[in-house]
Amino acid sequence: MGRRYLDGDSVIFTKKDFCLVDAKLYDGTVLENLEPRRLFPVSGRTKYITLLDQQGKEQAIIRDVDNLMKESRKIITECLEEYYMIPKITALLDVYDKRGTLKWTVETDCGIIEFQIRNRHTDIKVLYDGRVLVRDSNDNRYEIVNHNDLDKHSKTLLNNEL
Amino acid sequence: MDSKLHNILVNKPASDDNILKLKQYELDDDPFLFMVVSDLSLERKYAQTLIAVSAKRYVVIDPMHPDGALTGNISEIKASYVKRMYGNAQLYVETEDSKKAVLRFTYSIASLCEMAALFLTHVGNGGGLEEEFEVVKATYEKLMNVCPKCGRTLVRPGAECMSCRSKTKIIKKLAEYIMPYKGTLIFCMFLSLAGTAFHLVSPYATGLLVDKVFPNKDVKMLVILVLVLLISYLASCGIGALRGHLLRVCGDKTVQALRNDVYTKAQHLPMKFYDKTSTGSVINRISSDTTVIQAFMLRVTQEVVVQFFILIGIIIIMLVLDWKLTLLSLIPVPVVVLGSRIFSKKIAPFYRKIWKRSSRITSVLTDTLPNVRVIKSFAGEKRAVSRFESHNADWVEMDKQASRIASVFPWIVSFFIQCGSLLIWAIGGLWVIDSPETFSAGLLVSFISYVAMFYGPVNFFANLSDSYQNALASVERIFDIIEAEPEQDFGENTMEGKVEGKIEFKNVNFSFDRTKKVLSDINVVIEPGDIVGIVGTTGSGKSTLINLLLRYYDNYEGEILLDGVDIRQYKLENYRSHIGYVQQEPMMFSDTIFNNIAYGKPNAHVEEVIHAAEVANAHEFIARQPDGYDSVLGERGVGLSGGEKQRVSIARAVLTNPSILVFDEATAAVDSETEHLIQDAIEKLISGRTTLMIAHRLSTLRKANKIIVVDQGKIIEFGSPEELMALKGKYYKLIEIQSMSGKGLVSWEEDI
Repeated sequence: MGRRYLDGDSVIFTKKDFCLVDAKLYDGTVLENLEPRRLFPVSGRTKYITLLDQQGKEQAIIRDVDNLMKESRKIITECLEEYYMIPKITALLDVYDKRGTLKWTVETDCGIIEFQIRNRHTDIKVLYDGRVLVRDSNDNRYEIVNHNDLDKHSKTLLNNEL
Repeated sequence: MDSKLHNILVNKPASDDNILKLKQYELDDDPFLFMVVSDLSLERKYAQTLIAVSAKRYVVIDPMHPDGALTGNISEIKASYVKRMYGNAQLYVETEDSKKAVLRFTYSIASLCEMAALFLTHVGNGGGLEEEFEVVKATYEKLMNVCPKCGRTLVRPGAECMSCRSKTKIIKKLAEYIMPYKGTLIFCMFLSLAGTAFHLVSPYATGLLVDKVFPNKDVKMLVILVLVLLISYLASCGIGALRGHLLRVCGDKTVQALRNDVYTKAQHLPMKFYDKTSTGSVINRISSDTTVIQAFMLRVTQEVVVQFFILIGIIIIMLVLDWKLTLLSLIPVPVVVLGSRIFSKKIAPFYRKIWKRSSRITSVLTDTLPNVRVIKSFAGEKRAVSRFESHNADWVEMDKQASRIASVFPWIVSFFIQCGSLLIWAIGGLWVIDSPETFSAGLLVSFISYVAMFYGPVNFFANLSDSYQNALASVERIFDIIEAEPEQDFGENTMEGKVEGKIEFKNVNFSFDRTKKVLSDINVVIEPGDIVGIVGTTGSGKSTLINLLLRYYDNYEGEILLDGVDIRQYKLENYRSHIGYVQQEPMMFSDTIFNNIAYGKPNAHVEEVIHAAEVANAHEFIARQPDGYDSVLGERGVGLSGGEKQRVSIARAVLTNPSILVFDEATAAVDSETEHLIQDAIEKLISGRTTLMIAHRLSTLRKANKIIVVDQGKIIEFGSPEELMALKGKYYKLIEIQSMSGKGLVSWEEDI
């Protein structure tokens, strides 16, 4: 059987408990207890969302969440937001450098947090579109959507590390 | 009620608010045993929440629960588990009639919550409280094995924290590299001072020529002064040449020692370091960073001292000649010093950025050049070139930006210095015109020469911060390696004589980066001499199982025992020498076939090597090579076919006569005839040794007396092939499909 891609109005999703959804397809097929996961968690947040059943097997792929019907789009987006936690750093409050080990205090959309970065060379990645991906010493992920949009103080602190 | 909350096991102090809330649930006859303080609320906001567990109850404090708290009886719990998501995880509690997410947290405390979940599940299902609490205590003890200053996990209890070692210690460590040459370096310093002294003669002699020789037409004096100047030039040139040679030799030896140490350390770094660090950046550190540090260290030990003395000497001479002009010549100094401070602040980030870009270029090289065949076969030359060019352009752009600062600054300094000289010319010139008897033209000429010399050291100190910043960035990266936690090797036990080969995995759990468990709850006993086939889908955890056995990763939970002893208790080198490992893609060194076989036993006798090659069915093809065992292989074994390389790697394993053999899909990439030859070699080798074989083709496992079926990080079936066939589970299904294909060539992936 070929891979099943879901598009636009060919599917209706209904929400269940714990990040699970049911999918009713245009041909009447019902797929139950599916867990949406991003195939491209870094580069494509709304594109190519795989739907895994309880055994972890892929049942279908949503090509683009933005093209789903309004209610379905809301359900899938909520599930994805529940599953993925990549706090967006809105400001760098303090950067403390102790011989290569960095301690950052940052403001994020989830609140203020302090964390350590073990290796500035591998744990801070700048992408071409201005995004900065950060990984702390506990493997938690953070993101700066566009480092050019940060305030002046944050930019100065960040600039020393990039 | 006297609270006992301050004495229970806890990962970090709870806030007063939370303690106050928790006190409401304290019971004298059922005190809390442990508490996990979390960092996220259920609504995904950073906040302090917690779960406290007693023998009978659990209490969760989180603002999202009604009244800010949730309580439950452990006896009602059917199961409790942690669901790891992306960047966060949740603790679930399942009872007969409900399933709830009770606590949310980041990965920082995921393993503690997993321990809490196990406690709740086991105690809830009638497990012994004391036994379970022992596990909890052990987990907390392991967690507390951290540096009290910075909170990083220590290599072992009581070990010195790599990150908190003082700066003085680093400087001392760096100084260790030049200490062996201190005699030569001190001698060079004296040479330098002597050279400078000769250098200082010249302006004084020039002053005498202008003031005494020319006006008095004193030819005798002229000859003497010219001779003095000649001797001083000769001496300073000779001293300069000798000093240059000695310094270069010292420098080369320092860089040699530094490189050796970094490379040695790189050999002992754990696999997890290489999982996260590109080889390009390691190469860059070994090759260029060591040179930068070497240059800087010599500069510091030599020039700083020498230039300082020159500076003091010239100031004294200038003061003796004329104190007023000396003060005038000091005017530009504050500007130069202030400028250098601003400069060092501006240039520091650029050095890091330049290094990062140049490291990316090296990474592209180490990535693409060894894969040039793949690039060519997919006509990817243009893409490879454009990727390289884009990184190269990045580097140029950054260097250009740095150059704007680095090149402009010295000229600004130079401009101010020249302005200082102009000031001396103007004011000193007026004095010569007004009162030549008190301030002669010769004195002015000498003074101007000394001023020019004075700004040499000033300029040096101003620019020192530039090279200091550059060196600091290199030191940081070198120490990234030198101070990285090495492979854990604290075992004292050695295995002498025959190793029985009994392998036990006890409650082993492992994840590479805490985001996803790769192995969970692995429990298996392999008896001495067993030939065990490991089957499972790609990514199921087969190779990770082997990686743990080989101690490539030590940070797993649970225990792996060899002959009843935890494998971490053995000395690493001794332990690995008892394991023969044959990989799917055999790694060859650019050396002779003989040395490639003898890699694990460098002193092997020729006949031992030939015998090993024979056992591995490799001798015949080696003998057919024009250079026989002396054939030099290209990089990564270029010159041999896949099957031939595999047989050489089997010969390598044969030669070390290991007690345990591990084959990781050794025949996956060869044709049927070669497979037969390799299979034959393997069968000769494995008799009497505990053998683990990962295999996709079941034909490879015909000698196996036990089979482990791994699926999604768990062992789902284990037993003899007959037992598993009777079980009619996944193994049975696989056999059925492969029998249907008739050739036994269907891989596990094609199953189900």
